[in-house]
Amino acid sequence: MRAAACLGSRFRGDDAVGPLVADRLRAAGAAVLECDDEPTRLLDAWAGLDLVVIVDAVSSGAAAGTVHRVEAGEGPLPRDLGLASTHAFSVPDALELGRALGRAPRRVVVIGVEGAAFGMGDPVTPEVEAALDGVAEAVLAELGEG
Amino acid sequence: MSDERETREIRTDYLARVEGEGAMLVRVRGDEVEEVQFKIFEPPRFFEALLRGRQFTEAPDITARICGICPIAYIASSCNAMEAVCGIELPEQGRLLRRLIYCGEWIESHVLHTAMLHAPDFLGYDGAVEMARDRRDIVETALRLKKAGNELMRVVGGREVHPINLRVGGVYRAPSRAELRALVPELEWAREASLAFTRWVAGFDFPDFEQDYVFVALRQPGEYAIERGRIVTSTGLDIAVSEYEQHFTETHVARSNALHSTLAGVGNYLVGPLARYALNYPELSPLAREIAAEVGLGEVCRNPFRSIVVRAVETVYAADEALRIIAEYEPPDPPGVEAVPRAGTGHGCSEAPRGICWHRYEIDDAGTILDAKIVPPTSQNQKTIEEDLVGVVKQSLHLPDDELAHRCEQTIRNYDPCISCATHFLRLEVERT
Repeated sequence: MRAAACLGSRFRGDDAVGPLVADRLRAAGAAVLECDDEPTRLLDAWAGLDLVVIVDAVSSGAAAGTVHRVEAGEGPLPRDLGLASTHAFSVPDALELGRALGRAPRRVVVIGVEGAAFGMGDPVTPEVEAALDGVAEAVLAELGEG
Repeated sequence: MSDERETREIRTDYLARVEGEGAMLVRVRGDEVEEVQFKIFEPPRFFEALLRGRQFTEAPDITARICGICPIAYIASSCNAMEAVCGIELPEQGRLLRRLIYCGEWIESHVLHTAMLHAPDFLGYDGAVEMARDRRDIVETALRLKKAGNELMRVVGGREVHPINLRVGGVYRAPSRAELRALVPELEWAREASLAFTRWVAGFDFPDFEQDYVFVALRQPGEYAIERGRIVTSTGLDIAVSEYEQHFTETHVARSNALHSTLAGVGNYLVGPLARYALNYPELSPLAREIAAEVGLGEVCRNPFRSIVVRAVETVYAADEALRIIAEYEPPDPPGVEAVPRAGTGHGCSEAPRGICWHRYEIDDAGTILDAKIVPPTSQNQKTIEEDLVGVVKQSLHLPDDELAHRCEQTIRNYDPCISCATHFLRLEVERT
């Protein structure tokens, strides 16, 4: 089985990328694991899945709206994307913990959308807004590939 | 010359993506601690503005979004406040349901903190991932315990993250007795597992450090206060929740954007597990008191590093209390009391896992929120955390910078601060000038 894992908070500017893409994926009938705060909750949800596509906002210094694609491979996820949680566990940590406990998906692809504003109550920036439909299509393509 | 004494500066900034949310700075000159700053991120300030103009019934769902770890605290405190302003009292079975879901939150929050974030500090691991490689049994047990708490939240609250079944006046749909009884085997396991977990954490090596804290917590005769109670202090104050602002003030601190909470005539104070335990020990269940005695906790604990043991005891209590409530449960009928708005101000408070979470709302006759004020536990502890840092640094000046930095991180983690988190502190840097 394959699913998208969409992370982020709707209340924090561009961090809303995950939930906003989740809305689009659900409308298209895809399996979505939404996780707004605490990635250890993903451990049970994704254990044993063939593929999980993680959708999250990132902060690597690129232009807002830039879409990054990273295949997790065998090693840890790169830290320089700023795939960091505002809570106790980051996504890379959750994946590493899942691997240590034998509760990780077989394959993980990260689609990261570069954000510019992450303050409480900030609106989603136009560049990120403009990227949302394309990101949703890209995730559906990942999930649909043989 | 004193001016040329070595200055050590230990500083951490949060994640780049959330820069400015908070930071820690410790500056030491020679053997004097010159400055300590611990700034925190305060999402409630944003939510207070967001609440104005919304309906009074929306406050629980909106404020639940402040924190994904402790949504029930915000739901319970805002419901308490709105029920007060509407002049309704929650029927007993409805209150017990609120207490029951709160037990779930205590379990999941305490276990996440103690096992996954705090325990690695005492065992020399960088974090739970490293600990999981050596101590898979502990991490698996912790995840299962946390899941038991989450499951309780899901069954009562409709879903485990940001529950949707709670409302002003009760719940939308009361879970059946059968639904709650289905949770009993896992909660019985959780109670046993948390006893073993308490024994395990009590065996850690704790720094010898105590502070003469002023404790502040809710108190409710006949129970270990969680979802209701009066506000009491170790200095003898005993006030209604509505009197909070007559005794506690938030002062703006010039050097930072943060507000510091102080108790009139006292100064800084402590909320959270150590405060609850010291003020309400006799109200713990016999089992919780037994395990506390077995691990040598005493009736008052003033060592913040041992808060991990107190949280473990509270986890035992939460599982025990959840089982008690389920055994006596009768579904409230109707599931909720209708709340009719009337112009006025209401106050609500409850014991979030990190300490009292206080709310005040002013609404009009139509139920529109005119003003909101939320005082979360971590901001109340902020000044006390800084004082702990001063004390710990003074006691640890002999340590090399990296060990001193780690001891400072650990000191902050003692509080399970809802600022987000352990991993941030791993980015901490030590500078010498």
